[in-house]
Amino acid sequence: MTVIDAEPSAAPADGAALRVVVVNGSPSRPSKTMGLVDVVLDTLKGMLPIETSRIDVYRLGAGFTGAIERDDVPPDVESALRLAEDAGLLIAAAPVFRGSYPGMFKHFFDLVDQYALAGKPVLLAATGGGDHHALVLEHAMRPLFGFFQALTVPVAIFASAGDFDGTVLLNPRVYGRVQTGLTDVADLLRARATRAAGAHPPHSNN
Amino acid sequence: MAFEIGIMTFGEITEDPVSGGLPSPRQRVRETIEQARVADEVGLDVFGVGEHHRGDFVGSAPTILLAAAAEATERIRLTSAVTVLGSEDPVRVWEQFATIDLLSAGRAEIIAGRGSYTESFPLFGYDLRDYADLFREKLDLLLKIRERNPLSWQGRFRAPLADADIAPRADGATLPIWVGVGGSPASAISTGRLGLPMALALLLGPLTFHEQTVDLYREAAADAGHDAAALPISINTHGYVGRTSREARDVMFPYFAKGMAENNHQRGKGLLLPRAAFDAQSSPRSGLLVGSSQEIIDKLLAYHELYGLNRAVIQMGFGGMPQKEHLDAIERLGTEVAPVVRREAAMRGGRAA
Repeated sequence: MTVIDAEPSAAPADGAALRVVVVNGSPSRPSKTMGLVDVVLDTLKGMLPIETSRIDVYRLGAGFTGAIERDDVPPDVESALRLAEDAGLLIAAAPVFRGSYPGMFKHFFDLVDQYALAGKPVLLAATGGGDHHALVLEHAMRPLFGFFQALTVPVAIFASAGDFDGTVLLNPRVYGRVQTGLTDVADLLRARATRAAGAHPPHSNN
Repeated sequence: MAFEIGIMTFGEITEDPVSGGLPSPRQRVRETIEQARVADEVGLDVFGVGEHHRGDFVGSAPTILLAAAAEATERIRLTSAVTVLGSEDPVRVWEQFATIDLLSAGRAEIIAGRGSYTESFPLFGYDLRDYADLFREKLDLLLKIRERNPLSWQGRFRAPLADADIAPRADGATLPIWVGVGGSPASAISTGRLGLPMALALLLGPLTFHEQTVDLYREAAADAGHDAAALPISINTHGYVGRTSREARDVMFPYFAKGMAENNHQRGKGLLLPRAAFDAQSSPRSGLLVGSSQEIIDKLLAYHELYGLNRAVIQMGFGGMPQKEHLDAIERLGTEVAPVVRREAAMRGGRAA
């Protein structure tokens, strides 16, 4: 099942809110991974108007887990895949499982169209039990979106279990990194939001 | 505040790696009280007992050991090191420590911690998935009990309190509550926000291991409006004060290595600490407080300068240190180390971090 929370932030003057789609690779509710993403979204809201949706890959159900090809998926999963493919900014967020992103997270992207993410801004975020997992961003997640020819945001965001009180992120250094990562691409994201305002998403008329 | 020096124990029941002997629980509880008595006699400031719920420690009920220690001592402060607050009822914790405070004429203290051993959670029916929420809520309740009586309170993990009269009250105006922090940034930040004193645990690693922890703690305290520079910080670490540098290392090594092998498991097995690694951990730039009295003085002052530390609590019995060697080290810590460190720290006070 797709979880969609469309939350338009401050009403955009020109009607151009950035469509942010979070692909959540964590099975936990609540989770540290979404605690980290909450900080990203809050920071982003302070920079430009956004509307956010979230896809919880662990809640997509048997029609998703049993699908081998894109043609196999039921309509609700097809909508979730379209949502990700049509995002203005995709936030790919996952916990580290057995040294990498969870298989369920990869399965979602195995069903994504090969060229649907080309040139699309993708922000990478991950959480792990300790700092020694931090390179999952560069050695597992970035190559995946390299395959898709996506425009990954140069600064990827990692937080360790010790940075959280429960699922609330406390470490100010991680907040600083979120700020840095988003500031780097703020102009690009604003331009994407404006450009998309009048245009149809590339897959909307299939 | 004056620099305080103390000792702590878990009441270790570990097979002696040198003699092969195993102390009985009865022997270990008596020895624990004797350690408190000697520490008090030689003028140390703090005696702490850690909470563990396993057969290889007699510290499952630290408040009872501290109550017995209260009867055997005159001046020394009696603390938990730590109270695993997440699996406790804060009302009961308060009642017990307030009672110790009355028995000892105001010498009781609590170091509340999340706990690095997790046995107490299933034992008392708590879910480890609530680890963070349990500690946050129970610390909140404990602080409110300290602040006012009667108290109305409600939370998620215990029955609400409606105008509850929680007695006895502390002997004096209040009872010190510290928070034990292992070094996770979030733990340092939440402790700083509350403006509570922080007891840093350091097992192994460089002297500078907790620099970030202390920075985050003080920044969070200042942001929350507390006087960050005035907040006490303690280091709680392993060590041994010997006659000479060499003797200290030779005596401590087999016991510390044994304790590490039994408690610091990797792949379900103990870590065999090589002597070379132990010696490296004992160097001037590493955290372990092992050496001659002069070495310990130098290292404590280095800690004081680095972190603005006001207290050090040393665990010298890890791995089952025999009582005679343990008492010798307590005596050296009290008579040779503490007076010099207190004097030097007072002189350098204003220059500390």
